[in-house]
Amino acid sequence: MDGGSTIVLPAKRRGLRTALRRYFADPYAVVGCVIYVVFIVLGILAGWLAQYDPTEILFTDDGQLAASLPPSAAHWLGTTNLGRDIFSQLVMGIRPSLFVGITAAVGVSALGTAVGVLAGYFGGVVDTLLMRLTDVVLGLPFLPFVIVLAALLGPSLQNVVFSVVILLWPNAARIIRAQLLTLMQRQFIEAARVTGASHSRIILVHILPNILPLSLLYGSISVGWAILTQASVSFLGFGDQDTISWGFMLQDAYASQALSQAQYNWFVPPGLCIVFVVAAGFFLSRGYENLIFPKLKQ
Amino acid sequence: MVFYAKRLAHMVFVLWAIATILFLMFRLLPGDPTIAYLDPSFTGEQRQMILHDFGLDQPLWWQYVLFLGNLLHGQFGLSFRQRLPVTDMILSVLPNTLLLTLVALIAAYAFGALVGALMAWKRGGALETIGIPLVLATRAAPEFWIGMVLLAVFAFGVGWFPAGGATSPGAVFTSNLARYSSADFLRHLVLPAFTLMIYLQGLPLLLMRSNMLEVMGEEFVIMARMKGLPERTIMLRHAARNALLPLVTAFALGFGATLGGDVVVETVFSWPGLGRMLVDAVSSSDYPLAQGAFLMIAAVLVTMNLLADIAYGLLDPRVAHGRR
Amino acid sequence: MTTALLSVSDLAVTYRTQAGLVAAVDGVNLEVPAGAMLGLVGESGCGKTTLARALMGVLPGNARVSRGRIVLDGTDLQALSAAKRRALLWRDISFVPQSSMNSLDPVYRMRTQMREVLCGRGDLSRGAADTRAADLFQAVGLNPVRLNDFPHQFSGGMRQRAAIALALALHPKLVIADEPVTALDVIVQRQVLDMLRRLGEDMNLTAIFVTHDIAVVAYLCTVTAVMYAGRIVEYGPTADVLARPAHPYTMGLMNAFPDLEGPTQDLAPIEGSPPDLHTPPTGCRFAARCPFVQPVCTTTYPAPTDVAPDHWAACHRVGEAETLRAQATEAATWQS
Repeated sequence: MDGGSTIVLPAKRRGLRTALRRYFADPYAVVGCVIYVVFIVLGILAGWLAQYDPTEILFTDDGQLAASLPPSAAHWLGTTNLGRDIFSQLVMGIRPSLFVGITAAVGVSALGTAVGVLAGYFGGVVDTLLMRLTDVVLGLPFLPFVIVLAALLGPSLQNVVFSVVILLWPNAARIIRAQLLTLMQRQFIEAARVTGASHSRIILVHILPNILPLSLLYGSISVGWAILTQASVSFLGFGDQDTISWGFMLQDAYASQALSQAQYNWFVPPGLCIVFVVAAGFFLSRGYENLIFPKLKQ
Repeated sequence: MVFYAKRLAHMVFVLWAIATILFLMFRLLPGDPTIAYLDPSFTGEQRQMILHDFGLDQPLWWQYVLFLGNLLHGQFGLSFRQRLPVTDMILSVLPNTLLLTLVALIAAYAFGALVGALMAWKRGGALETIGIPLVLATRAAPEFWIGMVLLAVFAFGVGWFPAGGATSPGAVFTSNLARYSSADFLRHLVLPAFTLMIYLQGLPLLLMRSNMLEVMGEEFVIMARMKGLPERTIMLRHAARNALLPLVTAFALGFGATLGGDVVVETVFSWPGLGRMLVDAVSSSDYPLAQGAFLMIAAVLVTMNLLADIAYGLLDPRVAHGRR
Repeated sequence: MTTALLSVSDLAVTYRTQAGLVAAVDGVNLEVPAGAMLGLVGESGCGKTTLARALMGVLPGNARVSRGRIVLDGTDLQALSAAKRRALLWRDISFVPQSSMNSLDPVYRMRTQMREVLCGRGDLSRGAADTRAADLFQAVGLNPVRLNDFPHQFSGGMRQRAAIALALALHPKLVIADEPVTALDVIVQRQVLDMLRRLGEDMNLTAIFVTHDIAVVAYLCTVTAVMYAGRIVEYGPTADVLARPAHPYTMGLMNAFPDLEGPTQDLAPIEGSPPDLHTPPTGCRFAARCPFVQPVCTTTYPAPTDVAPDHWAACHRVGEAETLRAQATEAATWQS
């Protein structure tokens, strides 16, 4: 938690296979990985799995609006009050969630690493300024700030990703900076400096490979946060109304009185999907944490 | 004392920076910068008056100075929609939010500390095997969805609790105290507070568990065993009491963070609080209100971060004495 | 010597580790006469702390007593139920830990920790407990005012005194002290040892001192037991054991400490390291390091043999002890 422990580098010296075997010795990591693979495959096949266009208003054979149908062979999860196929919406909703999760993860680890490395490597004024900045960002209330940003920038998935990235990087930056400071004490950095290596060479060749495991950890933690945030923003009505996402589905269900109509088939599945994907992210990063901080493992 | 002064100065700096970011954000809006304060439906006279009051006819830097000055006096301007002072509106819903947050947080920490301690004590037991994935799942569930399921089951389904709001329509109370202690208010409070609690208990639970595991290996716990003290005394008085310290910090930090997270829960349950006010204000472009609500939430967050530091010092005798 | 207050027979404690089972204590026989101060001496890792904790019945989660008997004042401790055994802890047998830095709960004042024992385990009223606590603090050389302090406000020596006061609180029949002065600096060590010696005489204490420092044993203890690789190799009255050690390991241990009064001589450390207890040797466990080793030593474990009244050693060459002692004082003997 406090990042005071020094990390042991996994893959680099002992070989990727050892690292992978140790990683998958953790049952959480296996479960997380399986869930991810299943959702990614479903996401790729979504266009084929969805029997209907998720926004299409459907009619029954006798020309009636196919509204609020219970689950059946034709509509596995029934239909919404406007006659849309819930199962089709659900599988199509995988894509925006994965998109938001993965891009935000990349963004957070990239920005966090950049700031952490700059602050730790150059120290002095650069360090002070960047660390003050992290203090300020950590003082911003998370969801309210995302909402205000979404309202100002306009509703779109990219903007949600942007908000998540600019709010979540400080945690990664702080830990990476701390790790870098211990790294800078080590002989090989000193040696590189004495032999006249340039800043960019030292950072790229000597520092980044050692920092990468931590960046990846913070990236993987951000996946879940980003997906949850996107769902909340959609639910509050600040999301992209043209993209069918799980958050949008839940907002649609809530606004269409699905709760009082007891249409559990409508609002339970999207929530469960979010739980699965986000929990899988937690499981994965848990296993990963055990790998790079073996001391914590008991 | 130097420590406290430094922390306080730091807090003021962070608040100033947040206010500045907010000031710039609302003025970076496309179009007329006065849009942050003026509603097209204002009459010309009102418009002139407010423009002058807020110095919106002045250059940007002077506006900024006025903005900060108004903040220091607790002035956030007038709401576009209600035409009421933002400060008054915020203060009228603040108790609802504080009560909801506090009740949920206390329940969550009491539950989390107890179950987390038990899990560590019965290491490797069934409670742990089933409990840990379950707790991680609650951390992964969107709060508003938990709220929706609870609403569908307990409000619309079995009808034990009302579906939304803080009091029944038409309910009249003689005083604020009577209002907040009425059975009606408490019945409305149950579901939103429970929703928040489910979301919040995971952190203290996992934290308590790992603290306990660490403390249980400490010499003084082994000594307590050697003294022949009952297991319960060892677990509660020695192991849990020591493992609890970091939770105090987490509680204060959690309070600040939860206030922001209340936004969705308040929306699901139509709870008249600060978070819902913010959402309504943003979606109806009531910018003075949005700005005020946001700054209020940020102020509580930053203050609680400060209190977290201080509380930790007061509760841990090692730190408390070290500082004097 | 009179009747034994504590008698341990064939005690073994086994740890479950990733590399398999390890018997850290393996067939220990030990008697502590009433009123005696027994010094249990040996290198670190020889199992003396495990033995001490096994006597308390509080072992780490992966360790358990796999064989043997512990009889305290006529009661077979291993035969007791967990509840009965716990009821007797601290009232009959108490413990002074090695590092009282962490052995006192940091969040409670000393008065509270005293009360916990005196009221909770000793059935004293609060008032009586406070009086007793003040007496105890005085006895160990602490100002009773300090009862209101938290452990972190004490110096290392004071914490150790407080831990001793706690151990004496309920007039236990037996006190086990695990390296009680090791963590202290030399001057404070001496003060605490003096205090312990005085207390031992005043209170007619029966105690076991676990230590790696033979000087502490010489200063404080009436009886000495030397432990090596999970077993007791020599046992007897301190004066006798130190003057006429019969086991080569004891001889070696004494060489490792400077003799301030005797003629200057080269310190000869015992070369090599104790055996790996995952695969204990079949014969004498010291054989691999012993300068006097004979073929029989590597095949059969030597039975304890009396060398004097109440003084025994587990060595095949006990009979030649006098000759070996003479050779053992030569540094060259220990260099292989």
